[in-house]
Amino acid sequence: MILIGENIHILSKVVSDAIKARDEKPLQELAIKQANAGADYIDLNVGPARKDPDVMKWIAGVIQEVVKKPLSLDTTNPVAMEAGLSVCKIPPLINSASGKQESKEKMLPLAAKYNCDVVLSVLIDAGIPTDSSSRAEAIMETVAYANEIGIPNERIWVDPIMMPISVDQPQVVELFEFMKILQDICPEAKSTLGLSNLSNGTPEHLRGILNRICLAMLDRYNCFSAIVDSFDEELVKLAKGQLPDIKNLIYRAMDEEVDTSNLPKKEADIVKTVNVLMGRSLYSHSWLET
Amino acid sequence: MQLSDFFEPYKGEIKEVTIGPSGKAVKLGGEQTLPFHAFEGKEGVPVRFALEVFDTPPEGWPEHLRSSYADVLSDPVAWADKCIKQYGADLISLYLSSLDSENADPAKIAEKVKGIADHLSVPLIVLGVGDKDKDAKALVEIAKVCTGKNLLLGPLVKENYEEIAKAALEGGHSIIPQSPLDINLCKELNVKLAKFFPKERVVIDPLSAAIGYGIDYSFSIMERVKQVAVIHNDEMMKAPMVANIGKDCWKTKEAKEDKTQGILWEALTAFTLILAGANLVIMRHPESLKLVKKLVSGKE
Repeated sequence: MILIGENIHILSKVVSDAIKARDEKPLQELAIKQANAGADYIDLNVGPARKDPDVMKWIAGVIQEVVKKPLSLDTTNPVAMEAGLSVCKIPPLINSASGKQESKEKMLPLAAKYNCDVVLSVLIDAGIPTDSSSRAEAIMETVAYANEIGIPNERIWVDPIMMPISVDQPQVVELFEFMKILQDICPEAKSTLGLSNLSNGTPEHLRGILNRICLAMLDRYNCFSAIVDSFDEELVKLAKGQLPDIKNLIYRAMDEEVDTSNLPKKEADIVKTVNVLMGRSLYSHSWLET
Repeated sequence: MQLSDFFEPYKGEIKEVTIGPSGKAVKLGGEQTLPFHAFEGKEGVPVRFALEVFDTPPEGWPEHLRSSYADVLSDPVAWADKCIKQYGADLISLYLSSLDSENADPAKIAEKVKGIADHLSVPLIVLGVGDKDKDAKALVEIAKVCTGKNLLLGPLVKENYEEIAKAALEGGHSIIPQSPLDINLCKELNVKLAKFFPKERVVIDPLSAAIGYGIDYSFSIMERVKQVAVIHNDEMMKAPMVANIGKDCWKTKEAKEDKTQGILWEALTAFTLILAGANLVIMRHPESLKLVKKLVSGKE
């Protein structure tokens, strides 16, 4: 699975301070650390950058000086996006466009113009679709539009939009359902999603297990990539196929009800987490304790 | 071939919770089917109704509510008696309105509660005012002083559940954990309680809202709680539910401005939440009680 490292994010204080001060050092360090940890792409989330669209040009420039990984330019501002695109040496990923009218008009054409891959989310003007079939409906329309303006399916990374499980557990199940049918409705399209949003609101020490197991499940549903915390070592290993025993247990728990009463705690925790993600048991912050 | 051959039995059975000391106990829950789905599985005990009594004379009640209790408003014992004998309440819910006054003394309140519990012929629910600290102090004291009376104490929220539940456990009482209209937090509190408190003594309050003031949220959550318990057999959710609706109904302008409207407002809020799965309803107006009882039983 392709991993997009999320750790250069405007919401991080280190990152926002460095950006404000145009201090490339901390950002370059973060990029190098992520590349060494196993990130395949480095996401550069600069926020909407309304007052300072040139920031993307600067940050893309300083990051590609130190890592030879493709970048994922992450902003909703098409002006900032184009500023970044104009300097990238390796074709980057546009993160992201959506089915909203404004995005279709201003962001999506940049993927055609710069001949690069683009993340296309299921978001439309009416909002985020709430079940798998409305996700399908939304993305088919947006993909058809992208095809028309010259972006083929294989350059589109569909983002089904991950929602926090603590807010709306059924949405996680709907997302899996959507992933299962994605190849049928958009053949050859790639996919990606912001994995960490799954555990937004979940107690900090429990976020890792939720994210990791969900990623393995998504992998099984042929999810092409995910935007992840590069510094979660176990997550990276699992995504790169280095933890086959854990992966097999996750798959078994997906296929059948596994009795947890005789399992060691670590394995029981995995099974319980699969059950919560599959919607078999109701989520609560103490799902591992029941 | 019978109709029942087409039904798959539900897996989960709601716990049967007993409130009150033997001799005057009332049971709640016990069903293994969804509300009013007698054709699909075992029904539990019928929905139970409590009327509210305040331990200090209530303020701001409209005349058409007040008049039902005009002669007893300053005497909780007489008030409770009237609710039982004249208005047919299955239980009494004592609202500790005295906690709102500056110099509320938990020890005195507890003694008063004991007097009421001893006097009554039905079980007693004791509810705090929703202030986590005041409630905890009073309910812990009441749990001690009323040991063995198997009161139903609440609300327990995430900030005070430990101390109240511990005292309730020692005093042999049942409890009402309350969560803020969120099924995941509802389960969370149940999980934490289950570590030291018997599940057979828990009645959950997912928080009720009145018609026109968010009842759709309450309905969805109560409905889901019941489904998760009965259909999916979730161990942590198989508790009976309480809908405490009097307060929210009688603060609406619709209930305040007109008698018939107020009675209907409360009765239909109650009935709606019974359809969602409430096993116990706490109400205020005797005529709303009468109306909803009639609706539920189908009898005059």
